[in-house]
Amino acid sequence: MEEISLKAQQIFSIGSFGVTNGLFLTLIASLILIIFSLYFKSKIKMIPGKLQGAVEMGAESLLNLMESTLGSMAAAEKYFPLIATIFIFILTSNLLGILPGVGSLSFGETPLLRSPAADLNFTLAFAVISVIVTNIIGMASVGAFKHLGKYFNFKGPIDFFIGMLELISEFAKIISLSFRLFGNVFAGEVLLTIIFFLAPYFIPLPFLFLEIFVGAIQAFIFAMITLVSISLHTAANEH
Amino acid sequence: MENELLFQLGINWKLFLSQAINFFILLVVLTFFVYKPLIKVIKERNQKIKTGLDKAEEATARLKEIDNIGKEKIKEAEQKGIEMIKETENRAKILDKENIEKLEKKQKEAQELLKKSILKQQEEAKNKVLTEAGELIKKVIIKTVELKPEAIDEALIKKAVLEVKDEK
Repeated sequence: MEEISLKAQQIFSIGSFGVTNGLFLTLIASLILIIFSLYFKSKIKMIPGKLQGAVEMGAESLLNLMESTLGSMAAAEKYFPLIATIFIFILTSNLLGILPGVGSLSFGETPLLRSPAADLNFTLAFAVISVIVTNIIGMASVGAFKHLGKYFNFKGPIDFFIGMLELISEFAKIISLSFRLFGNVFAGEVLLTIIFFLAPYFIPLPFLFLEIFVGAIQAFIFAMITLVSISLHTAANEH
Repeated sequence: MENELLFQLGINWKLFLSQAINFFILLVVLTFFVYKPLIKVIKERNQKIKTGLDKAEEATARLKEIDNIGKEKIKEAEQKGIEMIKETENRAKILDKENIEKLEKKQKEAQELLKKSILKQQEEAKNKVLTEAGELIKKVIIKTVELKPEAIDEALIKKAVLEVKDEK
């Protein structure tokens, strides 16, 4: 049985920068998405084809979901790129991570590919981006002082305490977001490795389906939590 | 201690940064190549559909209006036609009456004229006959005077008459 590593392993290095197998698959995922977007851009037409129809359907359902959360279509369109990119990128990474060859193809002693979200750097980067960007959006929409006033409130001891709790919860969000995604995907990878080791044929199939499901759900959860915190930070001026 | 924990979890600021940069590159690429054109196209299409539907509604409303106008015009035209026919009929009646009266008048005049001329002719004829008869009698008397008055009998008179006739 292969050794299960908690961290992504370095497969080669460019100068002093060590490229890990997790980063390698992340780059592949981004490359696939960039190539797809370049191809898709040239195919956008007034009368949609099958591909455009499918993409539009997804985009419109996400837009509608965002509209119901944020309250207006204008806001939904404004924050759509962030939410959609988080969702699409995590989803693509998770789905690529289940493909055969990930974890089994070797580059020397280490596996060549690793599910990107099974590398804490990936999930932590997303979580930090999510929290920082949502706070910046909050500052931009309700004003920097008003937004920071939520965390540093000196009106009274209770308000101050609540403000500190809010501040801590933002950091807790980074940890919960990153470890939730990391934990789910890493656990899935471990599970699949074990199942494939125990019973290589047919038995792993339901677990593969489960992992596809988990990958999609985790991508969705990550995007939704970001969406909800945008909604909380932008709607703060209303009450 | 802290670094030990981060190392155990595989956290490496270089990798972290590369992942973040990677995300932002992807965000920019997807925004400019997929989201914006896609949303633009969706909006344009929705706009087109909306204007199309609006125009269709307008067109049906117009059509109805035009239909109503046409019906009204036809009604008007019918009424006008009926009025015109009535008027011409009335006029014709009036004209007929006048004409008939005129004709009757003319007829009467003509009849009177005819009567007059007939009477005149008759009178003229009478006068002519009378003058001719007078002359004839004169001539007959002259002839009878030239003949022997004794032999005045009817045969002679006849003869004289015959002669006068022959002379004539």
